[in-house]
Amino acid sequence: MFDRRKFLKLAAALAAAFGTKGLSQPARAALNDIDPRTVPKLLYLQGLSCTGCSISLLQADSPSPLSMITDYSQLVFHTDLSATSGAQAMELINSFIDGQAGDYVLAIEGAIPAGMPEACIIDHKPFADYLERAARTMSGAVAIGSCACDGGIPAAEGNPTGAVGLAEFYRNRNINQPVINIRGCPVHPDWVWHTITHLVLVGNPNLVNGSPRVFFERRLHELCPRYYDFQEEIFAEKLGDRGCLFRLGCLGPITFADCPTRWWNGGRTWCVDTNAPCIGCASPKFARQKDLPFYRLSEGKGRNS
Amino acid sequence: MQVDIGPITRIEGHLNVKTTVENGVVTDARCEGEMFRGFEIFLRGRDPLDSQQITQRICGVCPYAHAIASSTAQENAYRLQVPPNGRILHNLIQGANHLYDYLLHFYQLCALDYVDITAVLEYTGKDRELSKVRDWVKAEIDSGKRYPAAPFLPRLSGKYLDNRDANLGAIKNYLEAMKMEQKANQAAAIFGGKFPHATAIFPGGCTQEARVDLIVPYQSLIREVRDFIHHKYIPDVLAVAGAFPEYWDIGRSQGGFLSYGHLPLGPEPDSRRLLAPGVMFDGQVEAVDFNQIRQDVGNAKYSSPSNLRVRDAAITPQPNKRDAYSWIMAPRYAGQVVEVGPAARVMVDYAQGHNPEIKKLVDRFAGQAGIQPTQLNSVLGRHLSRAILAAVLADFLLAESQRLQPGQPTMASIDPPASAEGFGATEASRGALLHYIRIENYKIAKYECVVPTTWNASPRDDQGQPGAMESALIGTRVNNPEEQIESKRIVRSFDPCLACAVH
Ligand code: SF4
Ligand code: SF4
Repeated sequence: MFDRRKFLKLAAALAAAFGTKGLSQPARAALNDIDPRTVPKLLYLQGLSCTGCSISLLQADSPSPLSMITDYSQLVFHTDLSATSGAQAMELINSFIDGQAGDYVLAIEGAIPAGMPEACIIDHKPFADYLERAARTMSGAVAIGSCACDGGIPAAEGNPTGAVGLAEFYRNRNINQPVINIRGCPVHPDWVWHTITHLVLVGNPNLVNGSPRVFFERRLHELCPRYYDFQEEIFAEKLGDRGCLFRLGCLGPITFADCPTRWWNGGRTWCVDTNAPCIGCASPKFARQKDLPFYRLSEGKGRNS
Repeated sequence: MQVDIGPITRIEGHLNVKTTVENGVVTDARCEGEMFRGFEIFLRGRDPLDSQQITQRICGVCPYAHAIASSTAQENAYRLQVPPNGRILHNLIQGANHLYDYLLHFYQLCALDYVDITAVLEYTGKDRELSKVRDWVKAEIDSGKRYPAAPFLPRLSGKYLDNRDANLGAIKNYLEAMKMEQKANQAAAIFGGKFPHATAIFPGGCTQEARVDLIVPYQSLIREVRDFIHHKYIPDVLAVAGAFPEYWDIGRSQGGFLSYGHLPLGPEPDSRRLLAPGVMFDGQVEAVDFNQIRQDVGNAKYSSPSNLRVRDAAITPQPNKRDAYSWIMAPRYAGQVVEVGPAARVMVDYAQGHNPEIKKLVDRFAGQAGIQPTQLNSVLGRHLSRAILAAVLADFLLAESQRLQPGQPTMASIDPPASAEGFGATEASRGALLHYIRIENYKIAKYECVVPTTWNASPRDDQGQPGAMESALIGTRVNNPEEQIESKRIVRSFDPCLACAVH
């Protein structure tokens, strides 16, 4: 994995990309010790993605988007935000990947079509080529969202592209590069953001399944405010009911994520609070199997046999 | 000369456009969709209720539109009676999401083509945010970095706004728009569960309750966004229009316009809509008939048969198919090219004299700009149409939220049959969105999505007709053939979403 120096660099790069407002004072101090001119830049590329993770990062309320852009902004390239395009964009991307523009951290959103390289092309070359080349020059990589971590929806059973996540892609090519996995479909902005805090304060973070333990160590079910209902067997019988959603198919019992305590969209809401069963979007096996549907309806006939 | 102007940034997904330029004019353009995931393939054999979740992942920018289209298709298949609250919540969720999307498109995805970011260097006022941006840009440029002030720089050569105050105002609004986008999404998520990717939307309604403690924050968030639309967004669009009037005549697509209409005003499937549906050729509007839609794959990378109707759709990828240049299929309506999106929505509604607010705003702004309503078929027309729709929508959402009946049901009871089929049509912010589902033995036997950018960014069809965006590019005069900021402004005016187009 990363050594502490690399972690600091990674943290600083992420801080640079997404701002520093939400950080605790010691974390900010640690970041301030880093000379911004030497901070590695963040090169953000998308593979087989829906852009949902990028859009989710823009929903972060702390830091604000303003601090994301002005405090440091070392986001050297991002396909949705960059002013440049075409040949100029390619020159920029290639100069980093070829190691001519200094240190950088690779941020990847989206899966890699390992079985069909033509299914994701950037400037006439397969996305996979960029990942292979970058492995020689980058300081480290962050996989942002379930697609980049484990293949996500593009890797659902029966998929035609052979989609895989970044860590598996590197493993299969015998490339030894550390990848930090931040799962979620999409990723929660705090998970990306607070990973930085953790890295800076504690150094090498404790990982579980390659992801920061602090967010992904406990089953959603145990943290859920409806756990009491579960124990008392107060179950929602049909969609829209209150009560524990277990009988409707809630995947909280097998999903590791802290949504019940963190909430989404500025802390206003999260899935179960709207009486919607968790579909396990932060799980490595999210949406993988056809015979494990998201929902069980009690009136169902042959559908859950 | 041949020039590829991709990768085109500040759109969603992977798009290249291959252009041929002769004497400074684009004489040919080919839109190459460069990504494929295969949703329609891996949806087969799944539980039908999975589909509104899975199809949302077609696009993280407009997931709610897919959730609604999928839910509507299933409601149609299951013959569901949606309670009034359920339909209203669908509208509140999807409508709020449209507001965010219009702002994102204009400010984050397009503004950098018109606004001169370096104007901020001369800022001398007291605004905290602008001072911060100024200091940052200065420090970045002084740093000797290879790519200072990314992602704003480097940028393409071209004419930018030269009015200092207009630039500064737009930069400030670029930043404020992000906050407004968050608010619109928070409003949507109050009922949708989270954004991106809502878990609370289902066929038959929404699992969230219609509670006063949710309605009030929804309204207050929408009100803030509404103020921004009126006081910042619309004036900024008009400022760009005033500075670049030639773009009323640049980027005209050749063909018809298609809109499925938007936001049902009642729970019944055939309810009147806030915006009227229709397909328009030569100014004449007809009712939409899904049977008239066929998809060609002659130039797309599939070996499956061409010219299939939506319910017969088949999809077999063939990545190295000879002469095929895109993963995007070429849908056609009655064999003809159509443009979909905000301009189509506005023009189709306007031509029918349907929504009085649309008529009023189109007449007012067309009068101010000295253009004909037909000139909404242009780069500026698409931007203005979004702004008009945002204004109409914000008012509608506030009124619609008053119609919720707290305490009444928000969900129908779902009991999917063993076999059924259904169509669901809505408008994503980028245009007409159609989902089709066929269920056999309680599982999905066929699922097909005909998506806005599939129409707009389609390649040549089997008759050789260029798609709407291709036709809008052909004939464009470009100053710098290598960079073609003019072509990119055209492409971005469509707000292409490649993940949607090739799902
Ligand atoms: S709603 Fe889901 S996560 Fe919460 S207690 Fe019930 S099963 Fe567990
Ligand atoms: S509650 Fe479940 S489905 Fe919802 S965001 Fe968390 S992990 Fe994903």
